[in-house]
Amino acid sequence: MSKDKQNGKKPNIFFWFMGLMGKRLPIYLTAIVVSIVGFAGSKIANAWLVKNIMEAAQTRQTDGLLTTVIINFFIIVAAMFTWRFGIVRYNIEAKRGIARVEKQVFAKVLRLPMSYYENMHSGDFMSKLVFDMERAGDIYGSRLRRLLDGFLTTVIYMIPMLVLNWQLTLCLLSVSGLSLLVNSIFLKPMKKMGSKLSGKNAVMTEKITNILAGMETTKIFPTGRQLLEDYDVANSDCYKIQKKTNTMSAALEGLNNLFDLLSSLAFLGVGVWFVSKNLTTLGELSAIYSIYGNFRFVVMEIGKYIPQMMNCVANAERIYDFLSLEEEPETYELSGGADKTAGIVTAKDITFAYKEDRQILENLSLDIKKGEFVALTGQSGCGKSTFAKLLLGFYKPEQGDLTIEGKSYSEMSLREVRDLIGYVPQEPYLFEATIAENIAYGRSDVAPEDVPMEDIIEAAKAANAHDFIMKLPEGYNTIPGERGNTLSGGEKQRIAIARAVLKNAPVLLLDEATSALDNESERLVNEAIERLCKERTTIMIAHRASTIARADRVIAMGE
Amino acid sequence: MVKNKKKNLYVDIGTKHGFLLLVYVVAAVVLNAVVIAGNEYLARATDSLLLGETVEFQEFFLPLTGMIVVGTILAYVQSLCGNNYSAKVQRDVRGRLGKHLLTLPYSYYDEKGTGSIMTKLVSDIAEVGRFFSEIMPNLIVDVIVVLTVTVYFLQMDIMLIVVLFVTYPVLLVVADKISRHLTAVVKKRRGSLDARTQAAFDAIQGISVVRSYNLDKVMQKKINYYIDDVADQGCKSTKITSMGYVLRHSINTIPVVLCYMFALHEVLTGKITTGDMLAFSVLLNRILYPLGNIVFCVNDIREVNVALQRVQEIYDQEPEESGTEKFSMEVAQGNGNVVEWDDITFSYDGERQVLNGMKFAIGQGQTVAFAGGSGEGKSTIFRILCGFYRKKGGNYKLFGHDFADWDLQAARNCFSYVSQNVFLFPETIWRNVAYGKENATKEEVIEACKNANIHDFIMNLPDGYDTVVGERGVRLSGGERQRISIARAFLKNAPILLLDEPTAAVDAGTEGLLQEAIGRISKGKTVIIIAHRLSTIMDADKIYVVEGGRIAESGTHAELIARNGIYAGMHGKEVAANE
Repeated sequence: MSKDKQNGKKPNIFFWFMGLMGKRLPIYLTAIVVSIVGFAGSKIANAWLVKNIMEAAQTRQTDGLLTTVIINFFIIVAAMFTWRFGIVRYNIEAKRGIARVEKQVFAKVLRLPMSYYENMHSGDFMSKLVFDMERAGDIYGSRLRRLLDGFLTTVIYMIPMLVLNWQLTLCLLSVSGLSLLVNSIFLKPMKKMGSKLSGKNAVMTEKITNILAGMETTKIFPTGRQLLEDYDVANSDCYKIQKKTNTMSAALEGLNNLFDLLSSLAFLGVGVWFVSKNLTTLGELSAIYSIYGNFRFVVMEIGKYIPQMMNCVANAERIYDFLSLEEEPETYELSGGADKTAGIVTAKDITFAYKEDRQILENLSLDIKKGEFVALTGQSGCGKSTFAKLLLGFYKPEQGDLTIEGKSYSEMSLREVRDLIGYVPQEPYLFEATIAENIAYGRSDVAPEDVPMEDIIEAAKAANAHDFIMKLPEGYNTIPGERGNTLSGGEKQRIAIARAVLKNAPVLLLDEATSALDNESERLVNEAIERLCKERTTIMIAHRASTIARADRVIAMGE
Repeated sequence: MVKNKKKNLYVDIGTKHGFLLLVYVVAAVVLNAVVIAGNEYLARATDSLLLGETVEFQEFFLPLTGMIVVGTILAYVQSLCGNNYSAKVQRDVRGRLGKHLLTLPYSYYDEKGTGSIMTKLVSDIAEVGRFFSEIMPNLIVDVIVVLTVTVYFLQMDIMLIVVLFVTYPVLLVVADKISRHLTAVVKKRRGSLDARTQAAFDAIQGISVVRSYNLDKVMQKKINYYIDDVADQGCKSTKITSMGYVLRHSINTIPVVLCYMFALHEVLTGKITTGDMLAFSVLLNRILYPLGNIVFCVNDIREVNVALQRVQEIYDQEPEESGTEKFSMEVAQGNGNVVEWDDITFSYDGERQVLNGMKFAIGQGQTVAFAGGSGEGKSTIFRILCGFYRKKGGNYKLFGHDFADWDLQAARNCFSYVSQNVFLFPETIWRNVAYGKENATKEEVIEACKNANIHDFIMNLPDGYDTVVGERGVRLSGGERQRISIARAFLKNAPILLLDEPTAAVDAGTEGLLQEAIGRISKGKTVIIIAHRLSTIMDADKIYVVEGGRIAESGTHAELIARNGIYAGMHGKEVAANE
């Protein structure tokens, strides 16, 4: 954790992460303490029981022993139930805490600037994120309790041991302290190995994702074998690192065992000497040893869980970094200057470039009148699609101003802007949901399941999609396959159009909506578009003569 | 691929490295014996002490030191072997699954979805790894500890054992009941975890729709539903396990108390010595924990078994059907046809018939096109040609040999594929092109890119061939991506070229570059084109018009126009649309 502090502004990741628990934190911590006290209580009662019996064996006095035994037994049971009460509460709080973190993270996943998604490798991204969340969640779910358990139990056990016989206890403690010291020496190299290992794991995941995502290519070209080679290299690297780690932990294990036996020896040597000098009784001796058996175990656990905790905190740090990523702003600050009344959509002197890339748009100005059907054409790379993305607020123009329905983009939230545009992308995306739900997504104001079926059907009819949907075995309840195998490009496109129909926004934006379609699908799609554009302003990005011909006005974009 | 398919992946690999496990077990046995021997000394010393004899510390100092040295070494060996065993098993499982993934049929991926396969490969393998690194070694050691200590007790007093194990059957029943409940919960939880990841993945993939339709709240609700579900299942499983633990502890305490009482009785009646009893109490402490563990290992094993079955499910998945013959890619004697289909039928789901008695033949060096509306099964033709899916009926011959006899890899070596949706790997352009051929040299890659008319474009990029392309190649336009995939096909240099709507998403400016590249790569090859734009296939040697899953008409462009059938109708519409 000390490493994090060098990073100036960053808070202590551990405390930050615990803070995410919010008001539930006190309940969570109390539950941990209750469970620990309950558990330790049962152990101590157990030790007392042993002490009484052993003393009876030594002194051959059995009066009242049975009562003591029965009382102790019930104390043990009661302590166990206390433990359960604590542990259940603790787990509920931990699981809820993890769920809360996950919700935050996934909410963030949906709120990043568009550029982030376009540049990332989504499979890789997801698996890394899920892995980090799982590991960070372990702080709530197990690591913190284990550590607290270690520390608290040490104290709890130490009290009766000291009361029983402090000289002997100190002797045993010194051995434990020594072993803890040795364990801590191993911490750093172990942690280093751990992070190396997770790096290699990430490479493996990435290669696997590639094999899966590029399935067609993987099968036809020798790509698969090459990816597999990379994967195998990463796999054996993983193994090599693992092996090194194993050697280290084996050494540690050997040493721990050394201390274990050493403490037995110390116990024997010192204990026997103490008894012979009448400084202690045999009963006390065995009671101490009975507690010490558990105690030693707990101390070892501390040594084991500190490095694990550190690893989890490192994962939490990645979650922190992720959550501190800049989100898409509510609204963009634009320089202004466009004539808001010139049209329903106006652009004034728009200049834009993707990061460290050639200038895509330079001083682009255009006005689109209400009710107009405008076709945007131009060579590939001239920025047609980029302009669409700017209109949708996916990116912020570097210079210039955009207005829609008489308001500048800087005067309203991106959410409001997007409510005004019905967008049909070049590659229609269908979610893993029924066709009905996919269309219902057009209305963001109502939950998809609350959109009336009649509206959905009406939208599908308007988009020329109803007939083919009804021909599917499950009709509107069909879930399109992951790669949309059951639906052709034209069919998917029409569902995407139905979605836009349902949205019923004043501006319709179509990005090469028909470019990948055959004539028949194109006819159906165009028919649908024509129906739509009657009541709306339509902006269509296209390069095909057949499409452009339908427009009221063609705007050709240059380089 | 000549392996027993029903083989259990983990048993197979687990036994392969059995030697390490054996060393581990031996070390554990000896180590335990050393510890017990140490306790013997303790007991003897106590006895003599209580008898009033003076104990010479030096007397047992030496043997105990020896034991410490041996014990330390043994612990080292035990840990090293155990962990290396687990690491080796994991490595081999990952390796084999990776290899297996490549052989799985295309349809499997289509059905399962990449998200769910990914969780299986990442988190389930890790979960099973826990079995090899923690559960199994612990179980083995626990059993050994319990057995050796029990034997020691037997020598002391046989009744002690009886008393100790009297409640054991109860414990077994309880553990079994609990673990059954638990398995169901765990299974459900894993399923919800998958669904959560898949939902998030889905939202990211469709992010432009999510954004433009303000769907973030809807998507978040969907994801949150699964997150809550995961948490609920988690709480449920804690309630079950913790109750199990309480029961185990309570039940376990009874024999312990009884044992002590009984031992006390034996001491009082003089059957065992007080020293024996001390040794007994020390050893009893040692085995209590493992004793309960053994029973409740069942829980862990059941839990792991859920993950294990999910991994095994991938492994059990039959690899793609493949023949064994590696025929030459030259036309066999006879009619000179490269591809021959006779009466091919096909359906994805067994209900909707996609191909319905498809019949055609393609001669060497011919350029053949399939035309027809969407949903008529044109893309399916390609999928069956490449063996992604298997025909349901009819005959498919490749280079004069039955496709079923072909070694699948050899058959696929006959095809290059340039598709409408080009997938670029999130790696450098160089690698993306080089994937076309194993061990491609730098010169070959550049040559291929020049042929594909993409070299100049690449050289203009800031990092040239080292430019990394995004997941879906977003920064490159459709035409650029397609030309990269053509370069890949150039490298492969297969005798049959499949073009799937090659110029569909490309505008007039780059279409020229693309057409030129396609013309170059088609030279001397058998070319099969799927196209909606009839303009791109007019020069084909033969055009097949697909309708209703069968060939409706065929001929050259001129012949088909003269025929005045479906094709002529389509052509008329296209011409009209472009005017």
